[in-house]
Amino acid sequence: MNLGTVFGAVFRRELTMIRRYMVNSISSLVSVYLVFILMFMGFQSMSNYVKTGALEGSLEGTIVGFFVWTFTIYAFSDLSWSLISEAQAGTLEQLYLAPCGFKWVGACTVISNFIFSLVPIMVLLFAMMATTGKWLNLDFVSLIPLLLITLLGAYGFGFALGGLALVFKRIQAFFQIMQFVFVGFLIVPTRLAWAKFLPLAVGNDLISTVMVDGARLWELPLNDILTATAVGAAYLAIGIVIFSCCENVAKSRGLLGHY
Amino acid sequence: MDITRNALAVESLTKTFRDGGRGSVKAVDNVAFQVEQGEVVGLLGPNGAGKTTTIKCILGLMRPDSGHVTVFGEDAQTNYPRILSKMSAVLEGSRNLYWRLTVWENILFFSALHGVASPADKRYFDHLLKLFSLEDKRNVEVRKLSQGMKQKTSVVCALARRAPLVFLDEPTLGLDVETSLELRSVLRELSCEEGRTFVVSSHDMAVIQDVCQRVIIMSEGRIVVDDNVSHLMDLFRTRCYRIVLRGPAPEGLEKRLVHEFVGSSVAEGEQGAEIKVNLSEDEDIYRLMDILRGVDGVIDEISHEEIDMEKVYLEVVRKERSFQ
Repeated sequence: MNLGTVFGAVFRRELTMIRRYMVNSISSLVSVYLVFILMFMGFQSMSNYVKTGALEGSLEGTIVGFFVWTFTIYAFSDLSWSLISEAQAGTLEQLYLAPCGFKWVGACTVISNFIFSLVPIMVLLFAMMATTGKWLNLDFVSLIPLLLITLLGAYGFGFALGGLALVFKRIQAFFQIMQFVFVGFLIVPTRLAWAKFLPLAVGNDLISTVMVDGARLWELPLNDILTATAVGAAYLAIGIVIFSCCENVAKSRGLLGHY
Repeated sequence: MDITRNALAVESLTKTFRDGGRGSVKAVDNVAFQVEQGEVVGLLGPNGAGKTTTIKCILGLMRPDSGHVTVFGEDAQTNYPRILSKMSAVLEGSRNLYWRLTVWENILFFSALHGVASPADKRYFDHLLKLFSLEDKRNVEVRKLSQGMKQKTSVVCALARRAPLVFLDEPTLGLDVETSLELRSVLRELSCEEGRTFVVSSHDMAVIQDVCQRVIIMSEGRIVVDDNVSHLMDLFRTRCYRIVLRGPAPEGLEKRLVHEFVGSSVAEGEQGAEIKVNLSEDEDIYRLMDILRGVDGVIDEISHEEIDMEKVYLEVVRKERSFQ
């Protein structure tokens, strides 16, 4: 099985879906921007509480945190929501008939969605920077790898919740809760030793260092990069294991095609 | 068992659904059958007979409790999911398609998942669209199509994957008579032209009679009949009798007949009482005559009843239930 053909098919499907659901895509982006505006308006009072690693309380740090949070939500919800919507639409079982295995179809969906989320989130970032007048350093060579490392944990959560959705179906309440949990992961100070083992936390710090301080990838502490990678990979692995267990349960109970 | 000629071999397939502490339902009970390459086999049965569960267990969408599935000589479990390159399916009760994508986009997407995406493959997709009269709907979003066209598109997407073994679970469900006839005709044509193996599950007896060479009838999770359609029809044709009596039915006749011959019926016709009876054994005709003689019934007319797949099916299912 040629995975390139599968990736091409999934990529084209996602692109077509984005075009067909353009109004929905734009409106969700606008709503995220409006949330930021509300946050910005209350920033002065909130700034004492919003901490992003070494940049505690700064507006720049908040922009970076919001930027990473938006990426996280996109990554997490794309995977888990797409599983739910495929099950609702009745196409999930057809994807399970792919000879490469459903996990590869899921992986292609995740990569495609990451690529497609770059444009709207960058637009959002520019909008946030223009609104606040704080222009951050956008070194994509450093940013993209760091974003991928940071989002590994979010994808892990996506796999886990997607798996739970296969078995328990209506778990939308979890999605709302997870959005707030991710905020917690982003604002927890990484000077606390245990915080380094939380998803997103160290990665978010590194991204802040690049975007606010103008550091390059190779100037960042190697230890922190390795920690962020290991923690992200561990959460991704746990998410995939939970997904596999739930998939087994769903297949045993005949739940794949149900919603 | 000749493995090399078999497209599919199912052995001792069993699947039980457990409902917490409230009990369990054996959906598939020790099912075993083979399908030869190029054969078109119908899977018939009432709701809950286990047809869809059997198909989903073969496809790996459900995990059976026990049993063994071989596809073109390869063990399905050890070669999963690679073995799926040899199978495709239209599944009952599912949309099977992305409604926001066009007919062509759906075909390209699902066939690419099977690695089928060459220019020659695309020419074949065009051929399928022509065959299913969907050429002018090629660039129309599926949500804008009628139910019949959506169903035909689902079948095209399953066929476009060029898998040698195709499962069609209720392919004519919700279709009008005309579309159902069209679909049947195309399936017949494809099975002849391409030599692919089809397993067609349906409630629609006409589809099975029209398209399939062999039929497997399931009831309560078990296979109760596995025979050639023509042989089965001949068998039942010789067993089904229509007897017209002179005058109304004598009292107690219907009760006696129903007791002796499962599925018999007595109705009052214009000429006299009309009896329909299915005789399962050769000597049953003598028992029938004894009963009629016993109630002083005068036979005016006796003939074989016209038989179709629906009657065969009903007779098999009735008989099966009477044994339980």
